[in-house]
Amino acid sequence: MRRRCAPHVLPAPASGCSGIKLSATRSCDSWFFFFFPPPFEVESQEQSGGGGGGPTARVVSAGGCSLFSSTLSRSFVARRDFSLQPFPFAMAGAIIENMSTKKLVIVGVILLLFQAFAFMVGGLIAPSPTTAVHYLATKCVDTVKQRQETKWFMPWGPNQCDKIRTFDEAMAKKIEANNIVFAVHIPLPNKEMSSWFQFMLVILQFDIAFRMHNQIKDGALVTIDVSLAYRDDTISKWTEMAHSFEQRKLSCNFTTTKTSENEGRHYECDLLPFMEVGSVAHKYYLLNIRLPINERKNINVGIGEIKDIRLVSIHQNGGFTKVWFAMKTFLTPSILIIMIWYWRRITLMSRPPVLLEKVILALGISMTFINIPVEWFSIGFNWTWMLLFGDIRQGIFYSMLLSFWIIFCGEHLMGTRLFAAWSLERGQVKMCESGLPTITELVTELGSHLTNNLQDQTERNRLSVYWKQVGPIVFGSFCLFIFDMCERGVQLKNPFYSIWASEVGTELAMAFIIVAGICACLYFLFLCFMVFQVFRNISGKRTSLPAMSKARRLHYEGLIFRFKFLMLVTLTCAAMTVIFFIISQVNGGHWHWGEHTVQVNSAFFTGIYGMWNLYVFAIMFLYAPSHKRYGDEQSSGQCITGDAGANSGEDNQLTTTITHVDGPTEIYKMIGKEAQE
Amino acid sequence: MFMHLEVFYYVFILLAHMRSCYCWSVNNFLMTGPKAYLIYSSSVAAGAQSGIEECKYQFAWDRWNCPERALQLSTHSSLRSANRETAFVHAISSAGVMYTLTRNCSLGDFDNCGCDDSRNGQRGGHGWLWGGCSDNVGFGEAISKQFVDALETGQDARAAMNLHNNEAGRKAVKGTMQRTCKCHGVSGSCTTQTCWLQLPEFREVGNYLKEKYHRALKVDLLRGAGNSAASRGAIAETFSSISRKELVHLEDSPDYCLENRTLGLPGTEGRECLKKGKNLNKWEKRSCKRLCGECGLAVEERKAEMVSSCNCKFHWCCAVKCEQCRKTVTKYFCVKKGGQRGRNESAGSRRKNLRLRKKH
Repeated sequence: MRRRCAPHVLPAPASGCSGIKLSATRSCDSWFFFFFPPPFEVESQEQSGGGGGGPTARVVSAGGCSLFSSTLSRSFVARRDFSLQPFPFAMAGAIIENMSTKKLVIVGVILLLFQAFAFMVGGLIAPSPTTAVHYLATKCVDTVKQRQETKWFMPWGPNQCDKIRTFDEAMAKKIEANNIVFAVHIPLPNKEMSSWFQFMLVILQFDIAFRMHNQIKDGALVTIDVSLAYRDDTISKWTEMAHSFEQRKLSCNFTTTKTSENEGRHYECDLLPFMEVGSVAHKYYLLNIRLPINERKNINVGIGEIKDIRLVSIHQNGGFTKVWFAMKTFLTPSILIIMIWYWRRITLMSRPPVLLEKVILALGISMTFINIPVEWFSIGFNWTWMLLFGDIRQGIFYSMLLSFWIIFCGEHLMGTRLFAAWSLERGQVKMCESGLPTITELVTELGSHLTNNLQDQTERNRLSVYWKQVGPIVFGSFCLFIFDMCERGVQLKNPFYSIWASEVGTELAMAFIIVAGICACLYFLFLCFMVFQVFRNISGKRTSLPAMSKARRLHYEGLIFRFKFLMLVTLTCAAMTVIFFIISQVNGGHWHWGEHTVQVNSAFFTGIYGMWNLYVFAIMFLYAPSHKRYGDEQSSGQCITGDAGANSGEDNQLTTTITHVDGPTEIYKMIGKEAQE
Repeated sequence: MFMHLEVFYYVFILLAHMRSCYCWSVNNFLMTGPKAYLIYSSSVAAGAQSGIEECKYQFAWDRWNCPERALQLSTHSSLRSANRETAFVHAISSAGVMYTLTRNCSLGDFDNCGCDDSRNGQRGGHGWLWGGCSDNVGFGEAISKQFVDALETGQDARAAMNLHNNEAGRKAVKGTMQRTCKCHGVSGSCTTQTCWLQLPEFREVGNYLKEKYHRALKVDLLRGAGNSAASRGAIAETFSSISRKELVHLEDSPDYCLENRTLGLPGTEGRECLKKGKNLNKWEKRSCKRLCGECGLAVEERKAEMVSSCNCKFHWCCAVKCEQCRKTVTKYFCVKKGGQRGRNESAGSRRKNLRLRKKH
């Protein structure tokens, strides 16, 4: 087991520089401190120096400090802010640092196995995620003069309506357009819908024939009088579910030349969103569509010659739902358990949890929130809001994940700042000088909120520091939430509603999406900038690493490793998501692999879902405070007293240990390289 | 009317044939007896007819204009030709049958569209619930295959050619289908997307096959043909080496300029052609030259007064209020030239035409 001694600040008498001074005991440089993981020392620090008032920073002036103390006073002040707690931002002594290479590899392999399993479950067991079923509306004739509201037209089966095959027939029989009802029964004969289908959305398509004298007018609107009914057995009466007058904009173009030779050819029309229901609680659905004509009010005039109405209904496959539920049911307890375990470790420490730890917990909570298989209830209950709820849950998770990345970067950015302080403290004038521009930069970069922090020490480590970065996330997801409420929220009431159907709605929806897009761009700019800053700091400080004591160096290497490890894993996960997304989009949906059919789309869904679960799992596990801190209090006391004699004895012994387990350092280098590339 | 009769004749043969054939039991995942075929027969008939209508449209300005006789796909006629045109007729008919069956599936006309689940050995229910049904196109293809291909009982080269062209017709339907996608993820994003194949207009299939017709491959298998096992093997081998999307023919086409009673060809005399017009394509603009000039016939201009409807007010269906307009239109027809001179010219042009055809 590899241990790292992290640098720590000790109270020291003020000297030279007035005001803020930075210090570390030399004794801590010794190998002895390898035994004491940093968090414990934080505690000891608190006990010894902070008293009841919490940790305080002791800054000791370095040799040449006074030379530029006046110019640096502002930066020192800023630094002081960072060094108030010895390790305020980074959670010192996370499991990942204290883990041996072997164990880390084992954990990685196990996670990879689970990942492969998640992909295989989707690819080999589950069917494709969704099914599209084509329907061609049957043209029924409403023979009854006075329209009865309760009359339903069945396209086939017993009690089917009076059908006409083509409209030429209607012309011959002198049937008017207002008496024609397009009937679609969902599903097709001999099948029934099931609540396992989760949702159903229907797309409308018109087959409009081109006629020289009856062309589609520009910006033609089609008004649809549509009603939806359901029943649960084949003999009972239809119950109305929804009835609405809807308008849809026809956007059709005629690809060939508009000549009389091409009369009768069809326009190419865009798909029109038609209906969306969030639960499929009934077995049979019936759609009756009318296209009423009112010349006076200019309704359904100039829409060309409609030949047919085609519908495509899309629902989730029952098999996929089952596999998905099974996955959720399996993942919920595993994330929940690791979350509880993680939080127990945090609370076991005597210091209050830092922001990053809280954010990781929040990430775990949002993952659990997404995982909890409340969808099971949709099998028994007719909960149409499940689709909306699912969207909200996903939104919360995404914004949490994005916030986590920002805060992780931010905390490590500051964590590395501490570094500058450490090099100063060692009394190396050169270091001090080389650190000078960085510190000044630091202050200017971080801007006003840092100086604000100065005024209130407790403000450090708080979410409000990140308002600039988290703001866009919150605002963007809020925009998307509003948009979703406008679309799917209203659909709870009227399944035929579509925000895209009206001009105002389209503009509003576009506005929301564009704002969300801008927020996303802003966020990624911030994130990239932050990552860039961290890397610049890391590379800047790397030069000063050799000059440091080994213990401190290892601590900083630990910080860098922790950051680069997460960077690498995150980038891998993001890249995997993008790659699989592209594959599943480009690919026809399934691959044939020998006798097996691999459902690429399903594999994408289960695999990516599993991957982010494993990601959250790994973060909570690896970034949890190391348990080695507990029960080491006594030895830490030794650290503080600084028994140099005892140290020297153990020094040799430890050096040999180090040479044996030099693996992680190599990994740091490796990962550092990769991350830089 | 004549054509209708032909279609029913065609279906009748089909049905008669089904009854006598026992080879179905192997593949009867959907039907249990002749009665089951009756469900599809009207669709098959409509499909075959739509195929022929499309054929007529596609060949309206060609020398061969898809006469009704071309529909005789039956095995009984020993005078069956095996030329390029026969290939097209076979392909477009089987495509029409497949197209109509697929379409009628979406109307809910049949009970078991797409849900054969032959892979799992399950029928209906469970397969539909677990993973949905396969495409209706697959169903249309299977039924069309069983109906249309059943007409070929022989095992000679002609039969092999017809089967190949039937398959090419079905592939044409599949090949012209359009992939359409709909995004329905979180907030309508494309994280979840469903795609499906959509039947095109049948005209698209016709256009596609017309192109294939121009590029049809000639296979020389008629010479030395016997019914021995060796030659059968050779036939199978030859056809399997050709892409199933291509049309195949064995013979050259006869001269469609002249009337030929033994082959039942009407000739191009008296046909209408197109000459001037703003929106004609190249093929249409040359139609008078092709139909009349190159066949040694003269083009006659006839003016006719036509009554047509104009200034119409349309609804999307059924109601049309029009005024009657008269306008003079010029039409062009092929008529015989007087005397010996014309015939010589006709022979010359035919030779030229042959040369042209070889270039294909």
